Amino acid sequence: MGELSRDAGAAGGGAVRWAAARWATATRAGDGSASVMNRSWHPLAMARSSLTWRSALYLGVSLAWGLGWFVVLAVGLALSVGLLIIWVGVPLLALLMVAWRFGAVLERRFVLAAFGVRIPAPYRRMPEGRNPLAKLKGMAGDPATWKDLVYLAVLFPVTLAEFVVSAAAWAATGTLLFLPVIVAVGGGAEVNFGVSYWAGNPVEALPVSLLGLALLVPAMYVTRAMAMTHAAFAALMLGPSPSQRENAALRERTEHLRASRARGVDAAEFERRRIERDLHDGAQQRLLAVAMDIGRARAKLDEDPEGARALIEQAHAGTREAISELRDLARGIYPAILTDRGLDPALSGLAGRAPVPVEVEVDLPERPPAAVESIAYFIVAESLANIAKYARATRASVRVAREDRWVVVEVIDNGVGGAVARPDGGLAGLADRAATIDGMLIVDSPPGGPTIIRADLPCTW
Amino acid sequence: MRVVIAEDSVLLREGLVRLLADAGIETVATVGDGPGLLGIVEEHAPDLAIVDVRMPPSYTDEGLRAALAVREHRPGTPILVLSQYVEERYATDLIGGGTQGVGYLLKERVSDVEEFIDAVRRIAAGGTVIDPEVIGQLLGRRRSGDPLEALTPREREVLGLMAQGRSNGAIAADLVVTEGAVEKHISNIFMKLGLQPAQGGHRRVMAVLAYLGLG
Repeated sequence: MGELSRDAGAAGGGAVRWAAARWATATRAGDGSASVMNRSWHPLAMARSSLTWRSALYLGVSLAWGLGWFVVLAVGLALSVGLLIIWVGVPLLALLMVAWRFGAVLERRFVLAAFGVRIPAPYRRMPEGRNPLAKLKGMAGDPATWKDLVYLAVLFPVTLAEFVVSAAAWAATGTLLFLPVIVAVGGGAEVNFGVSYWAGNPVEALPVSLLGLALLVPAMYVTRAMAMTHAAFAALMLGPSPSQRENAALRERTEHLRASRARGVDAAEFERRRIERDLHDGAQQRLLAVAMDIGRARAKLDEDPEGARALIEQAHAGTREAISELRDLARGIYPAILTDRGLDPALSGLAGRAPVPVEVEVDLPERPPAAVESIAYFIVAESLANIAKYARATRASVRVAREDRWVVVEVIDNGVGGAVARPDGGLAGLADRAATIDGMLIVDSPPGGPTIIRADLPCTW
Repeated sequence: MRVVIAEDSVLLREGLVRLLADAGIETVATVGDGPGLLGIVEEHAPDLAIVDVRMPPSYTDEGLRAALAVREHRPGTPILVLSQYVEERYATDLIGGGTQGVGYLLKERVSDVEEFIDAVRRIAAGGTVIDPEVIGQLLGRRRSGDPLEALTPREREVLGLMAQGRSNGAIAADLVVTEGAVEKHISNIFMKLGLQPAQGGHRRVMAVLAYLGLG
């Protein structure tokens, strides 16, 4: 499926349109990346998931990382604060600050790699320019920098606790599970759970392996619980604060609305230009020709009644053509039947006027809002017009259905395919109109066909 | 012959009155909106009511609703509905109550004076006149497994003209063939569509329209 967005050169920027369309997809599909926060708790699924083992690895070795930071911070802070009196402390402290910010950036990477939890960077934007002092000042003034410091300082006790629990859980599980191997390599072994069991050879050790397999489940659960706790704590300390998150969401939404408003305005302007052009090139010119014919007929009336009659015939035919052109134009601006009766009759009418057989299926429990009806209608009208012009199709089908909060419009033809939405083309204009109500239009038209044009329009009844 | 007219555009209303007067048809009353139609029909009991679809107060399908009201309260009053746009759904509603004395035409057909007057006379006499464009829309609409696919292009032409309410003679003149040839086409069409061969113009039109999903 190709997203429909205009070329990047178009006003407003392709990236914005693209982002707007993506935003619509994301809100529709929900954000479904896998992390320890949302995976299944089924033991088999957990054993199969690499997240379990990545978490176990991190929790087992992160003590070194936590201890390292504890030492660096304790020594660094003590030194630099002590030396503040003779000014050497200031650059030292600055250096330390850059270091712990870097450490926090790394920790975010680790959390993503181990737990699959993505923590967005919470930092404020750095001051422009190349002045390192200004940058350092910006860093020191950012509360996120100090939250990083607190996180790295308490990382040591946290990782220590994690290490102790991990070691206990996995050492016992691992030893029991691999006892046959241990016995094979190092001779007999005694297992003591209040009841002593002596395994003299690998075969005798197999029942113990089963016990180890049973222990695997609680070990995985303990690991999972610790992973979730660690990830939640990291997200709290290293991630954006709630108000920052809200701000970011609002900014994104504002940008999206700005873009869709711009597209709506563009679409309306484009439409008005088209109407003006159609009127000018069509009915106006025809009526002018009619007026000329009648003028000539009036002049000829006395000396050449036969010629005058022929001219009047011509003028009559011309007016009829002008009337039918105006009728089609008016229907193109807004079809009256849509207001009166809704989508089903309006689309049946469109299908009846199409040059190829078109099957129409409209399945809506009740009428959607007028804006949605109108956009849906014009998407079908434009698609059928394109089919008539370019597709060389022998049949087409139109489907409109309600899918929970969305009205889905689908136009399929069996033509030659290769349809693209050119900037300033009819389809691009329709995509812009759809964007004004947060809808989106997708064109799927491989060379050789079939072509599917699908629009998802949000509806809140 | 006496007619009443419901049409909101003064220009067109006066034009219609004059055009009918040229053909010796008297206009006994006119109104400019939908609700007024039933009143003048009850007052004058005309031979025909000519109604525009889009009229005040709602400017949607006001005239059509007025026409349906007339059919309900004064059944047997022939009605000709004129519409800026031909929509099959309007035609379906109108013919739903039977095809006796019903016409549904595009407004612009008025400019073909002789044909229009002919249609007026046929409807007033109890006939049916459906705009070729509606029939085109109905024939263009496909249902899956449609027997219409089995018709030859010539038979489709004949079916279209028949559905407009034309007589065999008129169809023969239109297609420049003999009346015998038309009768043969029609019996083939009825066989292919699985319709009961009906005698006489009116029942035949009804059968065809019912088949096409009107009425």
